[in-house]
Amino acid sequence: MSTFGIQQPIVELPDQDPERDFSDEELVWTEEEQEQIEAWEEQYADEQGAIMKVLWLAQEKFGYLPPEVIKLCGETLDMSFSQTYGVATFYHQYFKEEKGSYVLDVCTCFTCQVCGGYDILHYLEEKLDVHAGETTDDGMFTVQEAECLGSCGSAPMMEITNGVYVHQLTPEKIDDLIESLRAGEVPEFTSVTLPQDEDEMDGNRRTDVENTTTYETQPRAEHME
Amino acid sequence: MEATNGNATNGAPETKDWRSYDRMLLPPTQDLHRLEVYTEHDGYDRLRRVLENEGMAPGDVTGEVKASGLTGRGGAGFPTGVKWTFMPDPGEKPRFLGVNADESEPGTYKDRQVMEYNPHLMFEGILLAGYAMHIDTAYVYVRGEYTDWISQMATELQKAYDEGYVGEDILGSDFSMDIVLHKGAGAYICGEETSLIESLEGKRGYPRYKPPFPAQKGIFGCPTTINNVETLAHVPLIVEKGGEEYSSIGAEDMPGPALYGMSGHIKRPGVYEYPTGIPLTDLIYDVCGGMARDEDPKAFVPGGSSTPPIRADNIDGLTMNDESLGEVGSRTGTLCPLVLDAETDMVSFARRVAHFYQDESCGQCTPCREGTGWLENILARIDQGEGRMRDLDLILELCDHMDGGRTICAFADGAVGPVRAIVKRFRDEFEAKCQASVYPVSTEVSAGPNSAVAATE
Repeated sequence: MSTFGIQQPIVELPDQDPERDFSDEELVWTEEEQEQIEAWEEQYADEQGAIMKVLWLAQEKFGYLPPEVIKLCGETLDMSFSQTYGVATFYHQYFKEEKGSYVLDVCTCFTCQVCGGYDILHYLEEKLDVHAGETTDDGMFTVQEAECLGSCGSAPMMEITNGVYVHQLTPEKIDDLIESLRAGEVPEFTSVTLPQDEDEMDGNRRTDVENTTTYETQPRAEHME
Repeated sequence: MEATNGNATNGAPETKDWRSYDRMLLPPTQDLHRLEVYTEHDGYDRLRRVLENEGMAPGDVTGEVKASGLTGRGGAGFPTGVKWTFMPDPGEKPRFLGVNADESEPGTYKDRQVMEYNPHLMFEGILLAGYAMHIDTAYVYVRGEYTDWISQMATELQKAYDEGYVGEDILGSDFSMDIVLHKGAGAYICGEETSLIESLEGKRGYPRYKPPFPAQKGIFGCPTTINNVETLAHVPLIVEKGGEEYSSIGAEDMPGPALYGMSGHIKRPGVYEYPTGIPLTDLIYDVCGGMARDEDPKAFVPGGSSTPPIRADNIDGLTMNDESLGEVGSRTGTLCPLVLDAETDMVSFARRVAHFYQDESCGQCTPCREGTGWLENILARIDQGEGRMRDLDLILELCDHMDGGRTICAFADGAVGPVRAIVKRFRDEFEAKCQASVYPVSTEVSAGPNSAVAATE
């Protein structure tokens, strides 16, 4: 035996062979999905360009992206696992672990901050009894603090599971929202009318959208963090 | 607003101009976002005119854009026509246009309104730009959060393909071009042009060294130009009016109409379309109906998080163009102003700005990766009432070690600009918070190792 003691890594390495969440039978694309992926590959000079779209597809299909799903996506496009894993972990919106049925991204970036984004976040945390970043015990909701979601005129606002925007939040609105989400009803797309359209066109310019709202005076933040 | 009338030296238009302005980017037409309605209102006519036999040569389109003086509306404000001329002559390699619809700059939400209410104007602009630069494929990089808008645009784009406005032999000419929608996945840095390129290629969005510039080696190593959504939406207007006439709209140094995305403590937030160079006071009090709850304003962030905030007592006589804002040490950025009222805690605000940059730094360069974290740490300490007076100088010193070309991209400059400006311009608030500390440290003893020990414990 060598007298040179092998130093153990100071930081414990992650489990190199973790238990898998999906079996090999589950990790296959349907014919339809395969066709869709091939169409995406055509759009880019190098098929690797399609990886972000494939990861999105996988997230829709599996709900989140554990290592074996990321590996599947990479193999589909002839990419190594490390490359694919690198891409998947670079972007906020790819879920690397299982989340609640509804992911509530509350914007707290500075416009929302000064207009009560943290008040909304804290109200939600208290109501669901979780901290930002955690999932409720029933697996229904994950509350997250988000960076600017590009809807500063209707602050404070949130996004539900990388999808629909809910504008101009108030505690009452949150109550209604949580109730309807519990009943399985996700709010529909809402078009926010431009102030000039209100003046010049008497309201929203879009006739194909049922839900419309107008920009309102923004609240003042009670708490700023 | 008398102060603004006499101030015509900075290239601003007469005050009356903006009141009689008719919208062009988002004209008041119902359902304009639908192809049927868009074509009814002369949509794609500019493209048709350009592509006709007796139309315009590609170089002429670039020439008009150059003459218009259009500057990029994504934040950096580079002259668009000049950028287009950087593209090499057509060769063997395919050529790409990257459309920057990543719009992640905090405070900015104007491009989304173009995509929602007038996407075909953007598509027409993309096609005109594509014609001018011999582009084969345009990639529209939309931030992943805009899911609803992406699917709405995809429907409209498909219609445009079906009607022959996009694709092979557009409108019967021999010009062919594809438009591809690319959905991001939540990374602020991907709005930086070389990071956007990396991301499109299916990699981590790490910015690249420049040179080589995208015009030489861009998407997949091919000649590429990256333009912002709003910038491209201006192109059909320029082709219609002619560069010369377009350049007479708004401020001289950055002419044209602009989308002002107003937010914060004002009565009527929202996206407004007016010419550039509109007086700030008019924008707050006339356009947006004044301050919410009629308090006094305290600060004004002209266009996104990277633009240094201005003290409200400085805004009289200022106009929304770079020349005017430059006088008080700021710039227009994305032209989406945030107005803060007198009750805003600027320390807390600065801390949140720093937190954003800490969260979004890609981690490639040390000054930025480490610096943004320390900026947040120090600001958090001050915000929590545990700061020391010398922390203020520490912040400013740290800022000096982060910006000015020490990193690959301008992210660190964007992080440092607002923090430095807030600390300098609202120093009294920071000092007040530091003095509220349990162990106050006067500025005189804030040097030397002994004082540091005394102050910590």
